[in-house]
Amino acid sequence: MPFRLTSSRLLIPLAHESIPAGFPSPAEDYMDTGIDLNEHLIQHPASTFFLRVEGDSMINAGIQDGDLLVVDRSLDPQSGCIVVAAVDGAFTLKRLVHDQGVLYLKADNPNYQPIDLRRYSDVHIWGVATYSIHTITRRTKQFRS
Amino acid sequence: MTTVLIDGNNFYAACEQSVDPSLGKRPLVILSNNDGCVIARNAEAKALKIPMGQPFFKIRKRLIALGVEVRSSNYALYGDMSRRFMAILKEHCEEIEVYSIDEAFAKIKRPINKDLQPWAKNLRATLYRNLGLPIAIGIGKNKSQAKIANHLAKTIAIHAGIFDLEITHNTEYWLELIAIENVWGIGYKLAHWCRMRGIKNALQLRDMPSNELKAKCGVAGLRLQNELRGFACLPIQPKQKEKIETCVSRSFCRPITSLNDFQEAIATYTVIAGEKLRKQKQFAGAITVFARTSAYSPSFYSQSATKRLNMHSNDTSILLAASLQLTEQVFKSSYLLSKAGVIMRDLLSSDHLQLHLLEKYSCKGDAQRKQLMLTIDRLNKRYGRNIVTWAACGIRPKWSMRRDYLSPAATTQITQIPVVKV
Repeated sequence: MPFRLTSSRLLIPLAHESIPAGFPSPAEDYMDTGIDLNEHLIQHPASTFFLRVEGDSMINAGIQDGDLLVVDRSLDPQSGCIVVAAVDGAFTLKRLVHDQGVLYLKADNPNYQPIDLRRYSDVHIWGVATYSIHTITRRTKQFRS
Repeated sequence: MTTVLIDGNNFYAACEQSVDPSLGKRPLVILSNNDGCVIARNAEAKALKIPMGQPFFKIRKRLIALGVEVRSSNYALYGDMSRRFMAILKEHCEEIEVYSIDEAFAKIKRPINKDLQPWAKNLRATLYRNLGLPIAIGIGKNKSQAKIANHLAKTIAIHAGIFDLEITHNTEYWLELIAIENVWGIGYKLAHWCRMRGIKNALQLRDMPSNELKAKCGVAGLRLQNELRGFACLPIQPKQKEKIETCVSRSFCRPITSLNDFQEAIATYTVIAGEKLRKQKQFAGAITVFARTSAYSPSFYSQSATKRLNMHSNDTSILLAASLQLTEQVFKSSYLLSKAGVIMRDLLSSDHLQLHLLEKYSCKGDAQRKQLMLTIDRLNKRYGRNIVTWAACGIRPKWSMRRDYLSPAATTQITQIPVVKV
């Protein structure tokens, strides 16, 4: 869960490597706390969820099959943003488009038809996709698949 | 400052529906440990008059016929959703006190026009949008009144999940609507005692002679009565008190008759207890192991045994050595044991630890053991429950909790997150 990944906060460099004798580091007063991805990718930890992408209907947005999607349910869905919607009992990922008074869910892939939201009674916007994380190098060992 | 009670409606069912759109708006029930009974229902299942607490095996066929979805309790999911729920509440209130997995008391300042409806409506909308969790909000002068207000918010449709008891002009009217059984702090037996004295609702409880109530319930009863009268007697406690005991116990899905199976179970619970102690930053001074047959069994058996540790510890190997030794005193082969557990007692936090006068103590050895426990806990957190555990727990034991309808840990295990088909 986002706000428990404290092990990724490789911050405080001082405490562990205590140099018992010798000179203090000249960098001591200027130390940065380090980069924590949780801070940069997750603005609202309590409302952020992770989903796994299957399929290629959003390939032109750079979202590929197998990607890890970061979804923030607290954001207001605006026209043009990419949303996770629950349509007919399943999650789908599409661009929300407001066109001449009609709301559509459009794929970023010409092979897919836009979904006219007036046609479906069972639709709701579940959250706004903020980041898609793509794996370039797969880990060689998987403890659990 | 005004007191508020916020609680989730049909919390377990709402959590399942939040991360699984395939459930839609169909009726849904959640089962207790070992898929024993119905412990939660969504609104649609309530409408079908499926009662709470019904043993699953008795109504399974009826549920299938009615098209009701069934899920086993998924505590990993509910626990995580609860943490998120409380985190969002903290942002909307001055102070909160987590009361249960889906309930919290909170303090909030009234705006100048005294109207808390906009704040309450916004909080409901936020929790529903961000987590998919519908809630009820009760507002009152104190905790007991907030509880009553919450009940009124839920049970009277026109209130739409929000009720402010503090600003009503006819508090008596509302107190009269609350049956004595539904008053917070009045259990089944006490409610019966009240009814025998003609006290049927919260209003009558409020107005009954104090000395009679005090004689029966002591100061707790007086506090409740005073809260009903508008005084605040129970403060909001944001910090949880330190635990004085930690218990891990479970019922078995099928009775245990061999010492080996019993030891596997006790070992498993001891490992969990060890994790809890380290998480709570506490050390146990004594361990109790207990077991019993079913309460309905014709040959009932119940036994427990306790051992003091030489030095307070939360090192699982030390806890295991003690608890496994105790199993031999508790186990009896001629009985069908249906439930067992371990209790970690005499808990101390690290600033109160003492060494033993006669036992050898190695600072370096202790540091190494601490590091080992830390590493094991981290591995289990990172790669999944029990990825590293003790052999004494057994591999895929036959007695472990039945959860045939378990949904994935969709928010806490990266290998089980929902799929979005794009």
